[in-house]
Amino acid sequence: MRINAFTKTYGSRRVLDFPGCELERGKICAVIGANGSGKSTFASILAGTVTADGKVETLSSKISCGFMPQKSYAFRMSVLRNILLNGNDLKKAERVLNELSLMELKNAGGKTLSGGETAKMALARLLVRHYDLLILDEPCASMDMKGTIAAERLITEYAQKENAAVILVTHSLAQAKRMASCILFFDDGKLNDDPERMEEFLRFYGSDKGDPGNGGI
Amino acid sequence: MKTAFAKAIELILSGSPELLNILATTARMSLSSSLIALLLGVPIGILYGAVRFPGRTPLVVINRTLTGMPPVVCGLLFYLLFSGVGPFGKMKLLFTVKLMIIAQVVLITPIVIGSMETFVSGIAAPVRETAKGLGFNGVRTFFLLANESVYQIFSSYLMAFARAIAEVGAVSMVGGAIAWKTNVMTTAIMQYTNMGNFSLGIALGIILLTISLLVNIAVTLLQGRLSS
Ligand SMILES: Nc1ncnc2c1ncn2[C@@H]1O[C@H](COP(=O)(O)OP(=O)(O)O)[C@@H](O)[C@H]1O
Ligand SMILES: [Mg+2]
Repeated sequence: MRINAFTKTYGSRRVLDFPGCELERGKICAVIGANGSGKSTFASILAGTVTADGKVETLSSKISCGFMPQKSYAFRMSVLRNILLNGNDLKKAERVLNELSLMELKNAGGKTLSGGETAKMALARLLVRHYDLLILDEPCASMDMKGTIAAERLITEYAQKENAAVILVTHSLAQAKRMASCILFFDDGKLNDDPERMEEFLRFYGSDKGDPGNGGI
Repeated sequence: MKTAFAKAIELILSGSPELLNILATTARMSLSSSLIALLLGVPIGILYGAVRFPGRTPLVVINRTLTGMPPVVCGLLFYLLFSGVGPFGKMKLLFTVKLMIIAQVVLITPIVIGSMETFVSGIAAPVRETAKGLGFNGVRTFFLLANESVYQIFSSYLMAFARAIAEVGAVSMVGGAIAWKTNVMTTAIMQYTNMGNFSLGIALGIILLTISLLVNIAVTLLQGRLSS
């Protein structure tokens, strides 16, 4: 599937100038870049929650598309009900909750969860249903190590089983290397495939903070 | 004065037929108008709060203006529309409870719309983003927004009911305060006071204040749930 080129301007500031790219089903594509480089804007435009400049045909109007925003939201109902909003396969829901260590909280109110727990719930809510394209904006940013490892496993498994293309925005370069078959490097709103600039970026970031893997890049 | 007060309590406890009739008319009017205002106002308020459609801003301004409309102006408008020579005079609705309800709906629906609009504006962005991210359509998103706002819906209803039951300007003009027909608590208080019959007025005043107290206790409890 192809993502068409688009731009995004706020006021007079061009925050994103995306040249377009090809996505492969069953594969994960990581999106990395500094704060404010346009990653979330990119993810939101793909998902259709933010509109790009002008008229561009977005992927989300053609294929089924699931999106986990950078800030997860729990609806005013139990954790389990939050998941079942998106499909009524109880077994599947409980399996995902179990993997993410949320089983004990399944009857708790969604709004009572901590930040990391809310993120796990939001991820679980998406994983119980088929999407052709799954867009995840820093899904593991507030998860603990165990949760991050489980989430990585579930996302990888989802891409393969559902034959879905996954876009994973992450600040963890180690995570990108572990999971993704391609990396989009955003640099001040532009895709940058200059290996030197990327090297510089990686050096600048050093090893991952709080990363459960070997962190060695 | 003391005897009037004692007589008022006696009237309440004995359940005088006239008092009961006034209470029944009041209940019929204010429950109907507040329920209709709720059914109209909640969807419109959610829409105004959640969707930035063209023309929304003028509509919100008009709604705020209607919220502050003096009840007598509303009463005057409906009096003119439904009086014998008015465009709807043939419907013979003037001095009926029906027209009192209609006038009240116009007065209190803006309250429900405004209260829902303010609340939903505050939660719409993440709810809509999340619902869209799950692939939900507009109808599902609307019901999710309503579910997120359920305590606000209750408290909007109570506000509308409190306004309806305490309102006097519009209902006295279009209802005419006809005994055994369109007389409600507020219009009866005015009438009996003018006639020097203070005890019935005080009795009704006590009942109105008690209802207002109960409504406000309920609103306060709901606001506690809202903020937790
Ligand atoms: N609604 C908005 N109005 C104005 N500027 C915005 C808005 N949303 C994002 N931006 C700007 O666009 C840039 C990219 O933001 P974002 O895509 O969230 O970055 P990140 O890569 O950290 O996810 C930032 O500089 C941000 O300030
Ligand atoms: Mg971001």
